[in-house]
Amino acid sequence: MRASHLSLAGLVSIASAARFVLHIPTTQVVNPSTLTASTHATLQSSGPPLIAHLTRSNTFNFYNVTPGSYFAAVHCRDVAFEPIRIDVSLEEIVEGSGEKKEMIRAWQTFIGNEWENKGESRGEGGNGLVVEVKAIGQKYFFQERSGFSPLSFLKNPMILMALFSMVLIFGMPYLMENMDPETKAEFEEMQKKSPLGGGGNPAAQIQNFDLASWMAGKTDQGSSSRGQSPAPQSKKRG
Amino acid sequence: MRFHALALAACLVLPGLAIFEDDAYHVDYHHALVGLPKHDTTFFQQPYAGSKASLLYTLSQKQVIAAVNPKDGALVWRQRLSGQRGMLRAGEEQDTVVSATGDSITAWSASDGRLAWEARMNGATVEDLEILEQEDGITNVDSKDAIILLGGGSPSVRRLDGKTGRVKWVYTDTSGDIPFQVSTSPTTVYYISLHTPILGGSKLKVTSLSPITGKKLDQYTLSSEGEIQSREHILFAGANTAAPLLAWTDKSNKVLKVNIIGTKGVSTFAPPSTDVVEKIILHAPNRVNSLAHFLVEYQTTAGHSAEIYHVDLKKNTISKAYSLPELGGKGTFTTTTSDANVYFTRITKDELTVVSSASHGILGRWPIKGLPSLAAAHPVHGVSEVVVKSGSASAVRSAVLFSNGQWVLVRNGEVAWQRPEFLSDTVSAVWAELPEEEALAHELEVEGHQNVFAAYIHRVKRHVRDLEHFPAWLQNIPNQILSNLLGKSQENAIGDIQHDTFGFHKLVVVATEPGRLAALDVGSRGKLLWNIDLQQYAPEATFVRPSLKASRGYVEVKDEGFEGSLLVNTTTGGLLSPKDIDLQPPVTSDAQTFVAFDLVDGELKGFFGTDYSSDPVWTFNPPDGEKIVNFASRPVKDPVASIGKVLGDRRVLYKYLNPNLVLVTAVLKSTHTASFYLLDSASGELLHAISHHDVDVSRPIPSTFSENWFSYSLTIDSTSDPASRGYQLVVAELFESDIPDDRGPLGASSNSSTLQPSSATGDVAKPYVLSQTYQIAEEISHMTVTQTKQGITSRELLVTLPSSNAIVGIPRHIIDPRRPVGRDPTTSEATEGLTKYTPFIFIDPKWHLNHKYEVIGIKGVITSESGLESTSLVFAYGQDIFGTRVAPSFAFDVLGKGFNKVQMLLTVAALFVGVLFVAPLVGRKQINSLWTM
Repeated sequence: MRASHLSLAGLVSIASAARFVLHIPTTQVVNPSTLTASTHATLQSSGPPLIAHLTRSNTFNFYNVTPGSYFAAVHCRDVAFEPIRIDVSLEEIVEGSGEKKEMIRAWQTFIGNEWENKGESRGEGGNGLVVEVKAIGQKYFFQERSGFSPLSFLKNPMILMALFSMVLIFGMPYLMENMDPETKAEFEEMQKKSPLGGGGNPAAQIQNFDLASWMAGKTDQGSSSRGQSPAPQSKKRG
Repeated sequence: MRFHALALAACLVLPGLAIFEDDAYHVDYHHALVGLPKHDTTFFQQPYAGSKASLLYTLSQKQVIAAVNPKDGALVWRQRLSGQRGMLRAGEEQDTVVSATGDSITAWSASDGRLAWEARMNGATVEDLEILEQEDGITNVDSKDAIILLGGGSPSVRRLDGKTGRVKWVYTDTSGDIPFQVSTSPTTVYYISLHTPILGGSKLKVTSLSPITGKKLDQYTLSSEGEIQSREHILFAGANTAAPLLAWTDKSNKVLKVNIIGTKGVSTFAPPSTDVVEKIILHAPNRVNSLAHFLVEYQTTAGHSAEIYHVDLKKNTISKAYSLPELGGKGTFTTTTSDANVYFTRITKDELTVVSSASHGILGRWPIKGLPSLAAAHPVHGVSEVVVKSGSASAVRSAVLFSNGQWVLVRNGEVAWQRPEFLSDTVSAVWAELPEEEALAHELEVEGHQNVFAAYIHRVKRHVRDLEHFPAWLQNIPNQILSNLLGKSQENAIGDIQHDTFGFHKLVVVATEPGRLAALDVGSRGKLLWNIDLQQYAPEATFVRPSLKASRGYVEVKDEGFEGSLLVNTTTGGLLSPKDIDLQPPVTSDAQTFVAFDLVDGELKGFFGTDYSSDPVWTFNPPDGEKIVNFASRPVKDPVASIGKVLGDRRVLYKYLNPNLVLVTAVLKSTHTASFYLLDSASGELLHAISHHDVDVSRPIPSTFSENWFSYSLTIDSTSDPASRGYQLVVAELFESDIPDDRGPLGASSNSSTLQPSSATGDVAKPYVLSQTYQIAEEISHMTVTQTKQGITSRELLVTLPSSNAIVGIPRHIIDPRRPVGRDPTTSEATEGLTKYTPFIFIDPKWHLNHKYEVIGIKGVITSESGLESTSLVFAYGQDIFGTRVAPSFAFDVLGKGFNKVQMLLTVAALFVGVLFVAPLVGRKQINSLWTM
């Protein structure tokens, strides 16, 4: 494929103007064969930019480029490409021979920086140089709508906390009931020893449970469960 | 990878302000236009050899090559060419189409529009292009070469290789004749030139060349000097028929002369009727193996008729076979080849008939089911595909250009699709209100001008009259609720314009360069409401560049081509006379006068009233020979919600809000300077001036003004090796003072005048200008700002990027000139939403309003408020038509598609069930607590 476009580029030869090729390699980011026909490259220096259309061999051919420093950009609907600085100059190949030849140099460039601030070299050579243009990434135009899903609802820490306390409130008394008497007695002994542990019977506690204030977010656990870690006294118990 | 880091950083600071995927293609619409197709460059063709379906290729008057799917009229690909007078040809069973404009010949891949090869003929212009179908009677299936004719100093014929575009041979004509065309036959290439003596008409000179070597074989001259006075008199120089033809006529179309190229004999025919023939068109098949038959169409003022001729290849004679009867009205003919047979399709306004070239029997006839949009139009030219089975035409499809600029595909008499190609010439557009709203506004105005009692009676009457819509509205409710619940888009369901709760339905009236006026309904995805030719209202005028101005119920059309103005009804497109319009009472009292300004002879001048002939009140002339190229002023309707900007520490920076601000752009080519002058258009006073060096002044310098800020964009010129390169976007904001809570020199005074500055201050209050420059990756060709009803919603800068074929909305906070430079924002600045200044603005793809659409050749973008404060309507025109809605601060006043109504109902139901369960629990607890007290 490369050979074919090189031969293409070799068709036109004009003495004082350079020609070169920008090539999009196949990478993981982009398969250049899928790009739309509107993809094109521009070469800007002064006045109207030079435009090259995308060829069948995924290249952009520039002919008759006069010496100068150019800002090359590939414009594509779906993929963003890195900008490139291309310098075209006339140089003597052998010093003192007087015979001048086009020299093309390409670098990475950074928009918003000094023009002299060049990045990695992207190629250097005479006429027919092939410069590879790297794709940065696909363009995403759309915004995702944050939809509702029960899983994401459950992932919410507030919901998780509420669910946990719910399990404690309703599950603990039944756990206590089902304990064997010895352990239960031991546990109650422990509770009595604890300075902050509240007394009373768990059934009454449940009946005194203030659902309204609980739903309002007051997770008042101390009053409803003896099995809990020490908690302040419920104000409803007065 | 600094670029990446920057891009990433830019992405992180921005809130997602993009189009939702489910809104795309619903709220926005795009007419991807081609331009009016040209007759000789439009054809059906298989995109590759052996393909079953064919595509419709065209090169339009706008120099756009396009492949259109004949099934639905969708664009497969298109490419814009530069230069004038393009040509497009395709060889049979080839996978390329070859175009030529200016000095370049390009082969495009027929299926996807990519470049196959390109050849440049430095300096010369391509006069003609043909594909060499056969060479010595043998078809080269692999690749068919192109024969080009180059004009310029020394005309030459060249053969280009069909695979690479390399020149195979050159034949140079040194006789000094004017090159006209090339034509090919299976054995010979003919080069036709016009030999013009000093006096009299032109002789046709035909040179035969060998297709293999390009050597001259023979040359002869036809004595056509009696008839041919200009090129238009040559009707046809036949493309690849087995017997190529050369036909010409005289000035008055009274005679038709036909020569079979390669022979010296000329046959002469006379038009059939005695009526004055306006135009003669010759239709001939362009395939090598088709029968050598052709059709001559005669157009008269009353109707059109045709005659069919046969060429006898052995005797080299042309004889008339039969004629088609004259029909009233206008029509056109198309030629189709199927194997060797040739079929002619006659297309008129009402009917489509197919005949064979061999005999006059009608093979098929279909009445055209007319569409209202084509009512007043007639077919201009077209191309057809005909399927003939056992002696009768079973199917025919024709792509026809109608005189009203619609490109229509008629399939068996039914309109399959239509493309409003005339819109690609749009040069100006204005927003117009809907008739219903106009009527309501009028009624309210009437009430406003009456006394209280009469106004009350009027209102009650109006409300009673409105009751007649009530039953219909009531009936519609269940449907509306259902469609709402099912999440169906309400916009699409709106058939008529009346049910427009959110004010998304508005009209845009557009004017095209050749003088056509059309109205589009932006709420119904840009549907064409009416389309008229302005020529019918002003027959003697030639339209150059019509400009529009919308008023209540009508649009005022002005043009350099004629005096005065035309008033056109916005609902119907009918002409109104000035007395039909009840002129609105002037809004201002007599004591007030307006100062209007305009660019006159390169100077900006202000005048009292609209009388430009009087002496100017003020004149602005930029210094040092700078030339004014553009000026931007605040929109006429530019509501400002807040007169100040609240800072993070609760102090206020007061905005400089002067309704008369004008930003003048002036350039000086020799020094590459662009200067911007801020003027007060009432007094002509210069308020601020900025100058930029190293600017490429040959590139567009768009600017825009809104509220208390303006913006412009520049391209940096490389000639003097500037430190940075690329494109710049400059944003400047005007404040009354740089100190918060300070209102500048006029702070204490309740009245101030820009014409007579108060003695206390001594000078006009000049704004404090804060500006910042950003680098952008692309050139901006046009910019404007969104508009909303109250101006509460933050604004968005809409820029057109021609290289990306995009329209982008840059949020205002990104280009806030108060972004701190070289340091992180302080806490109070951070609460304002300011981020650290970065020289490069990465244009996020999410800001693209056009997302996957590619809008090309945009000349202007206009914005309008909608019924909702959050939403602004956007309409872009030029080569393409594009429209959308934007909500720069999100759609805060309307429920979007993300709002799930079913889920909401389910939640309510679940809560209700929960209450049912909990209620007894609570009741018992309350009783218990009472007892235990």
